Amino acid sequence: MNKNKQLALVIDLNVCVGCHACVTSCKEWNTSGSAGPLTDLNAYGANPSGTFFNRVQTFEAGTFPNTQTVHFPKSCLHCEEPPCVPVCPTGASYKRKEDGIVLVDYDKCIGCSYCSWACPYGARELDQERQVMTKCTLCVDRIYSETLPEAEKKPACVLACPTSARIFGDVHDPESAASKAIAERSGYALMPEWETQPANHYLPRSIMETIDAARNDK
Amino acid sequence: MRPQFSIIFFTTLAGMAQGLLFFIALANLHSQATPSAFLTKLALPIAFMLLVLGLVASFFHLGHPERAWRAAMMWRTSWLSREVIALPALMAVTIAVYCYALLGEVPQWLWIALLIATLALWICTAKIYQCIRFIQEWSHPSTLTNFILLGLTSGWILLEVLIGVWGDASIQMIDAPLSVIAFVLLFLSFNLKLWIWSRNRKLKPKSNLATATGIKGNNIRQTSMGLMGGSFNTREFFHHQTDRVIVNLRKIIMLCTYIIPMLLMAYVMTSPNVFVIALALIMNYLGLLAERWMFFAEANHPQNLYYQRVS
Repeated sequence: MNKNKQLALVIDLNVCVGCHACVTSCKEWNTSGSAGPLTDLNAYGANPSGTFFNRVQTFEAGTFPNTQTVHFPKSCLHCEEPPCVPVCPTGASYKRKEDGIVLVDYDKCIGCSYCSWACPYGARELDQERQVMTKCTLCVDRIYSETLPEAEKKPACVLACPTSARIFGDVHDPESAASKAIAERSGYALMPEWETQPANHYLPRSIMETIDAARNDK
Repeated sequence: MRPQFSIIFFTTLAGMAQGLLFFIALANLHSQATPSAFLTKLALPIAFMLLVLGLVASFFHLGHPERAWRAAMMWRTSWLSREVIALPALMAVTIAVYCYALLGEVPQWLWIALLIATLALWICTAKIYQCIRFIQEWSHPSTLTNFILLGLTSGWILLEVLIGVWGDASIQMIDAPLSVIAFVLLFLSFNLKLWIWSRNRKLKPKSNLATATGIKGNNIRQTSMGLMGGSFNTREFFHHQTDRVIVNLRKIIMLCTYIIPMLLMAYVMTSPNVFVIALALIMNYLGLLAERWMFFAEANHPQNLYYQRVS
C-alpha cells in the first residue's frame, strides 16, 4: 500500500435509494464554490444541458421474479493510476501527491477534451460555457475549509445522502471507515480490466443473498 | 466518438503535406533530383501552406485557443503535447529547406532532418489515439500504419500533380512509374483499411455492464442514465448517425479514397494527363475526409456503457 493519503468515496449499493440528493447538493456546492460555476444551458427549455460532477444512474439485473433494481451513483473515481492525467498536454489535469485527489486547474485547461477521451468512466464533463474540463473535486474546498465546522468538512454529497450510502475517507489508512467498509464488505472497483486502480469503491448489494437465504429457510 | 472536423482537416491536410515532404526529401537524399526552382516556387510553399491550414484547423478544436502555447508543456507524458511541438518543428525544417534551396543546394543532413520531422509528426498524431488503451479500435499499431500510409499516398499523388503542373524540361515529366507507385500505395492503404475494418468487426469489448457496474446477476441493463436532456457524455462519445449513414459512408470511403483514384492511376499509366491525376487527388482527399470521420465514428468508448437509457 502506498503510504500517502488517498481520499476516496465508498458507495454502498445496498442502501442507495436513487434520490439524487447527492447530485443536487454537489451541483449546489460546486456551482457556487471554487470549482464553479457549473453552467446550465437552456435550463428551462426543451433540451436542457448542464455540467454535473455526479450522476445517479439506475440499472436492473436478473429475470422476473428474481430481479433487482440498483441505483448507482457515479462520479470521478480518483484513480491511483489516472489515465486522464498523463495525456493532458498542459499539465492542467493533475493528481495531488498529498491526498490523491485528481483535479483540473481551470486556468491552464485549453479545453481540448483529450482527458475525457482518456477516462473510461466518463467522469469528466467539458463545461459548455467556460470551455474547460470539469470533474469531481471531492469538495476539496470543503474538506480543507478553515471556516466550516469540523462535522461539515466532508464532500457535499456525503452530507446530503439520507441513507448514509456514501462513506468518505482515506483508503490507504486501514483504520478508516472507508477502508474497513471495503475490507469487511468486499468493496470493489469499476472496470478493473483497465488497471486504473480507482480509489472510489462500491459495496455490493447483499439483498439477493438475504432473500435466497430466507427462501431456503422455509 | 464524435468526429471532430477540426481534427479531420488537420490530420488529412498535414498528412498530405508530410507525404509530399517525405518523398521530396527521399528523392533528394543522395543527389539533387528536383530543381531548386521546383522546390522554392511550388512544392515547398504548397507543403507549408497545407501545414499552416492544418495548424489553423487544429485551433478550432480548442475551447481556449489563446492558451494553446501551454500545450507544449507536458511533452514528457503526453503525445498531444509532443504533437504540438512536432508540427512547428516540421514547419521550421521546411522553412530551412526552402532557404537553402533558395540560396543553392540543400545539404544532406537537412533532408534527413526533414524525413525525421515528417515521421515524428505522424508518430505523435497517431499515438494520441493509439495510446488510449480502452478504445480498442484505436489501440493497435494499425492506427499509426494507416496514418502514415494514407499520408504517403495523398502526398505522392500531390507530388505527381505538382510535377505535371511544373512541366519543365529540366525535370522528369510525369511518366508511368510515378503512377505505378501511386497505384501501389493506394492498393496497400486500401488493403490495410479493409484489414482494419475486419479487425474492428471482430473486436470483443473488454468492458461490459458487469465490469462497469460490478452488479452481480445476469441480464444487467440500464433503466436510467440519470439525466434526460443530454450532457457532454451523450454528445462527445458517439457519432449521432444512423447505421445506414455509416454503411453508405463506408462505400463512399472505398470508392473515393481508394478505388476511383486507383482506376484513374491505371488510366494515366498509359496516357499521362495531369488533370486526371488532379482529379484522382481531389477524389482521394474527399475520401480521406470521410475516412478520418469514420476513424472517429468507429471508435467505441467504454463510457457509453453508462449512457444507454433515458427515463
